[in-house]
Amino acid sequence: MTSHADSHAEHFDAHGHKDHGHVIVSVATLRLVLGALLFFTLLTVGAAKGEQWIAEVFQVTIPQSINVIVALSIAVVKTILVVTFFMQLKYDNPLNTMIFVFTILTVAFFLGFTTLDLGNRDSIDRTKARYIRPGGTGLAGTETLAITEFAKLQAKRNETYDPHHAHHGHGQGQSITDAGYLPKVPRVGSSAQASRPVTKITLPGFAVEADDDDDAHGEGPAH
Amino acid sequence: MATIDLGKHGAHGQVPANDDRPYHERYHAAHHFVDREHEFDAVKMGVWLFLATEVLLFSGMFVAYAIFRMMHPEAFINGSGYLDVSWGLLNTVVLLLSSYTVAAAVRHAQTGNQKWLRINIVLTFLAGLAFLLIKLIFEYYPKFVQGKLPGKFFSYPYAENPYEPLFWGVYWGATGIHASHVIVGMGLFAWLYVRARKLHFGPGHYNAVEGVGLYWHIVDIVWIFLFPLLYLIH
Repeated sequence: MTSHADSHAEHFDAHGHKDHGHVIVSVATLRLVLGALLFFTLLTVGAAKGEQWIAEVFQVTIPQSINVIVALSIAVVKTILVVTFFMQLKYDNPLNTMIFVFTILTVAFFLGFTTLDLGNRDSIDRTKARYIRPGGTGLAGTETLAITEFAKLQAKRNETYDPHHAHHGHGQGQSITDAGYLPKVPRVGSSAQASRPVTKITLPGFAVEADDDDDAHGEGPAH
Repeated sequence: MATIDLGKHGAHGQVPANDDRPYHERYHAAHHFVDREHEFDAVKMGVWLFLATEVLLFSGMFVAYAIFRMMHPEAFINGSGYLDVSWGLLNTVVLLLSSYTVAAAVRHAQTGNQKWLRINIVLTFLAGLAFLLIKLIFEYYPKFVQGKLPGKFFSYPYAENPYEPLFWGVYWGATGIHASHVIVGMGLFAWLYVRARKLHFGPGHYNAVEGVGLYWHIVDIVWIFLFPLLYLIH
């Protein structure tokens, strides 16, 4: 009787499934690759030190991009060596190489698209501001204010702004995470206030303190 | 229908009890594979797919690094200034040597050299241990004591840049996840050693050595990138 496994076997045999012999990488190759990897490691340290030396001796400012490009180029070369010979992609089923290449492409997309908006953080596009302003701020006289600045202003107004947390650095300038997400913000009745997702969220370290000097200037009327 | 005996296509448990050949010679592929070759390819591709997820896990750290460094370059230069290049360099050399011993272990499994297979597995385990000890004693512990910690745990009083806690977040996150991979790898090498002593690996069957080796190489590659990005900024 033909078993389940056997019928699979016949199927594969009929389609010409053949063994491809395993490549045994020679010791000489492995040692050569190790030597190259150690060399490139010293090179990357030497390049960084050399660059510092040049900058000091010749009193020049070398842009950071040079440093990064040199370091990453050497790291890429080392990676190619490891992947090709130690991980044997050179001798392997090409499908595994494709898996690896697509992984790198995915990482590139990840990095690329995350970087895209970097120049636009903490700002609102002018064409969109008129749509955002009514719901986002709900206050007159804040047309020129970035929404993050307004969040800070609003938190100060609500006496929930904690200056001790401002230096932790959540973004350029003071972003909404410094001041906006504070607990026990009284829910005001207007619909504009309802659009702010900041009420009743309790984060550790954001204890409400009685504000003292911030409101001394008396900015804006209280609701 | 007559029984078709395809020999090598047998399932588990069909080996006669009196077969005293070593495990790697009498090993049969799992019943859903045609033969050991078929199984080897499938296992290896499975490992590569797993490595793809590993790369994506670490890429989260690298993207965080890239974004935060672009936003606050001076904080990263300050932060990198606190790191000692020599310990990073030493650990890089340790990991590269361990990558070589893993590749050698695969080779000795392929050629059936049991003694050197075991020696190389032990050497790789020791390299992983050395890496962790260097990291713990000379890097993690002093930084922890000085309060060079991420985010709200930061208490180092002499910071020159308000965004240094951000650098430490990336530093601890990236190197911490990497170190946890080294710990997992050491466990895998201990497992390989136990199996190698039972003669589980040989020219016809060394899937586990190959798979763990690939994992270890990826851990090495991650460090190849972390080292210059964290230690060599100025």
